Amino acid sequence: MSQIAAVRAGRAFYFTRAQYSGYQSGRFGDSWAVDFPKADRQFLVGLRHLTKIDAYELENPIRLDDPALRQYPFLYALEVGYMGLSAPEVAGLRDYLLAGGFLVIDDFWGTRQWENFETEIRRVLPEYDIVDLSQDHPLLHAFYDIDEILQVPGRGRGVGGRPTWERDGYLPALRGIVDARGRLMVVINWNTDLGDAWEWADDPWYPLQFSNFAYQLGVNMIVYGMSH
Amino acid sequence: MLERLFSFLFKYRPIVFERGELGFASPWPAWLLAAVALALLALAVVPYLRTRRLEWRDQVVLASLRAAAFAILVLCLARPLLVVATVVPQQNFLGILVDDSRSMRIVDHAGSPRSEFVSEHFGPDGSPLLSALAERFKLRFFRFSESSQRVSDASDFGFAGRRTDLGGAIAAAQRELAAVPLAGLVLVSDGAENGESVLTESLLQLQASGVPLHTVGIGQERFAKDIAIRRANPPRAVLRGSSVTVDLTITHSGFGGKTVQVVVESDGRILSTRDVDLPRSQEATTARIHFTADETGPRLFRFRIAPEEGELVAENNSLETLIDVQDARRKILYFEGEPRWEVKFLRRALAEDENVRVVVLQRTADDKFYRLDVEEPDELAGGFPATREELFRYDGLILGSVEASFFTHDQLNMIADFVGRRGGGLLALGGRRAFAEGGYGGTPVADVLPVVLPAGVRRDTSGFVSEVKVGLTPFGRTHAVTQLAADERASEDRWNDLPPLTTVNRVTELKPGASTLLAGDAQGLSEPAVVLAYQRYGRGRAMALPVQDTWLWQMHADIPVEDQTHETLWRQLLRWLVSGVTNHVSVTTSADRVESGTTVTLTAEVSDSGFLALNGAQVSATVSAPSGAERDIPMEWSVERDGQYRATFVPAEDGLHRMTVRAEQRGTLLGSDVAYVQSGDLNSEFIDAEMNASLLRRIADETGGKFYTPGTVASLPEDVSFTESGTVVHEQRDLWDMPILFIALLGLVGAEWAYRRTRGLP
Repeated sequence: MSQIAAVRAGRAFYFTRAQYSGYQSGRFGDSWAVDFPKADRQFLVGLRHLTKIDAYELENPIRLDDPALRQYPFLYALEVGYMGLSAPEVAGLRDYLLAGGFLVIDDFWGTRQWENFETEIRRVLPEYDIVDLSQDHPLLHAFYDIDEILQVPGRGRGVGGRPTWERDGYLPALRGIVDARGRLMVVINWNTDLGDAWEWADDPWYPLQFSNFAYQLGVNMIVYGMSH
Repeated sequence: MLERLFSFLFKYRPIVFERGELGFASPWPAWLLAAVALALLALAVVPYLRTRRLEWRDQVVLASLRAAAFAILVLCLARPLLVVATVVPQQNFLGILVDDSRSMRIVDHAGSPRSEFVSEHFGPDGSPLLSALAERFKLRFFRFSESSQRVSDASDFGFAGRRTDLGGAIAAAQRELAAVPLAGLVLVSDGAENGESVLTESLLQLQASGVPLHTVGIGQERFAKDIAIRRANPPRAVLRGSSVTVDLTITHSGFGGKTVQVVVESDGRILSTRDVDLPRSQEATTARIHFTADETGPRLFRFRIAPEEGELVAENNSLETLIDVQDARRKILYFEGEPRWEVKFLRRALAEDENVRVVVLQRTADDKFYRLDVEEPDELAGGFPATREELFRYDGLILGSVEASFFTHDQLNMIADFVGRRGGGLLALGGRRAFAEGGYGGTPVADVLPVVLPAGVRRDTSGFVSEVKVGLTPFGRTHAVTQLAADERASEDRWNDLPPLTTVNRVTELKPGASTLLAGDAQGLSEPAVVLAYQRYGRGRAMALPVQDTWLWQMHADIPVEDQTHETLWRQLLRWLVSGVTNHVSVTTSADRVESGTTVTLTAEVSDSGFLALNGAQVSATVSAPSGAERDIPMEWSVERDGQYRATFVPAEDGLHRMTVRAEQRGTLLGSDVAYVQSGDLNSEFIDAEMNASLLRRIADETGGKFYTPGTVASLPEDVSFTESGTVVHEQRDLWDMPILFIALLGLVGAEWAYRRTRGLP
């Protein structure tokens, strides 16, 4: 959405999706656009219904090197195993995060994809370490009290009742990057696929426990991100 | 010159006419005088009336001229005289009060110090003036500055007094001379009054006893070349690290158009400087100075302008003020009706402020609240405070986007009382559930706000939203809250560079008495949108910030990552919001700095747990002197105002005194507060040190005396003689031989003759 349109709408929250450069493109689309825009819209239906957040109803993709990115302090990126950022994107994302932006990473699996993401994010924030978010982290209690981190499977595995893991990503992880003052800048959902759970929450065959969890964690991340 | 001419024509000086009473002492009886007058009138008029050659106009003119000449003759025959009271030589006393204060050292009396006039005319070596006075009176000398004492003569004056207490000096001299016949008092001074006594009371006593007070003003009414910092209006107390704004009143003469630098110092450290252009006219100018108070405790801040070449008084180029820099912690409740980015970025901006704690209560869903930074587990556990006691614990309240109908009517009243009665600071933020759009029109909260909520706008679903390019108003340009840089020009540049925000509230109208700091044009609004405004409401302050995304001033791509604009603005805004907030006891002093020996008045405002003014409390002050000596002073209810208590004391030592005021009710401590006063040498004598002629003239006029300058003082001895006060005789002074009468007579006769010549009469 353009800056002017956003201003016209004057809404408090935009579910903004990072439109990054990557290695995967072609017939199935770019990796940044996986589940797009249905996951975004469907999640927003839930978010608007469950909370008081004045959220814009539609998707809001934006390039990392677009200066307008800075007007949307919440950013969602997925399939970061295929991320390959250009130099302007690195600079854009770095300034965004240091200024106060909040990035949620989702839907990437296994060691190789982790390594790719880690390499890319180190280019953005070389001075900050990635840390595990413990079970008592305030993010997990910002709206819902989440006592356990579930592994949310992609649509195929969820609907098919198959094991939830992909590649060698057997265990889900909730990690983060905090700045020098201890403020969370990046939330990393590894070995899990919240986006698919949002996208297919309307599929009667997709297990409710996973979509339910994905909404809960999604809402918590946003409520936390909007207040910390 | 005029007086000399008057004396020549009328034989006596004007004062004789002023003091004397007109009378007649003709040896002839009145009937005879009247007969002579009538005869002369007939003699004047009849011959002309009988001259038929004349036109009636000539007859009138000539008859009038002759009648007037005869009238003068009749007046002289009536022997007019003035009856004037004059003192009996050496039977009366005259008190001479000489100013012995420091301002008498100022070199503006014909190139010499003012004190030179005293030495020259009243010194032990004698002078014509002194001799003339001594011939008529028994002289009694008094020296005065902050106190007054009798002296044998005007020698050995040090001119070192720190203050000029005219009222005290007059009262003391009158007391001393109460038992003797007093012909009058002579006050020799520059009139630069700064004493404690009430001058009017002393003057009323003089008026009652009929003693004239003559004043001799020494010095210039306006210095030829001088720059002075006259006044400053510092806050009594600020939170540590706050940006402080002080308005200085600067006057000058002879330096119009010059740019001078004002320096702010504390403990020898320069905190801020500012260039001030002195106006071309000699009007006072106000310079607003900003600096940061970062050292805790009672601090002296000194404002100074380096003396310019040729300045007459250098001491008035600086001024000191005492500010209590507090390391207190103010607590602000931010109630937000929905998750918004303002919460995140406001918390970040205040995160490192140790003196302002923002507790957030955020409604995340209907009946679901998210509490942040609470200090106790049960703080705000029930949502927005339901009792005054709970709400009044906070010093400030921020209302975010939350509709009025969320609150009960009592809660809305409570919010109004929070400002009006408790004295808290309220900040209303913009948002779709705020202001008129949030249904606040007609509620108690609307009364508190500095802006008018437009009639007819209710819970708004029209989706009004507009971009606002925010700019400073003239008032905001110099206000402490909106200072984004060290000087005003840089601050304004910064504001101009900031990206626009958005508003969803139609707020354009201010209440009378409110002030706008920020405003901007918005599409769809015919008037500029109010962006930041405030007003006082009862004991507290209310601010309106009807925009919804100040966080853009942190996040926007036009703002460098390391930029501190957003943090600075919010810190300044919230500190200012709660800066004057007091608790159940608040104490103020009559002055923050006093000259040694000056009485200090302490005033305490005391309220009960519900912040209602309390008259029956036990209030006492403990004064700690610099030496550590302590004394307790009871404070009494002032009667003038509910909850107000007063006490006075005189600092026994020079230095910083700490006054701790405690208030109790039935043995329970209501609260305490601390104030400070610095006692010492303030250089008061050099502030407003020009000769105050209007004051000296007023003193003389009100008591029946006269005002003199060194140029006119020679006539003082004679003038003082004409008085009703003391032992006097009534003299008769003839007026028939006044030269003016003869000149008038000759003039009238001459005019008659000339008129006849021009009309061709013999």
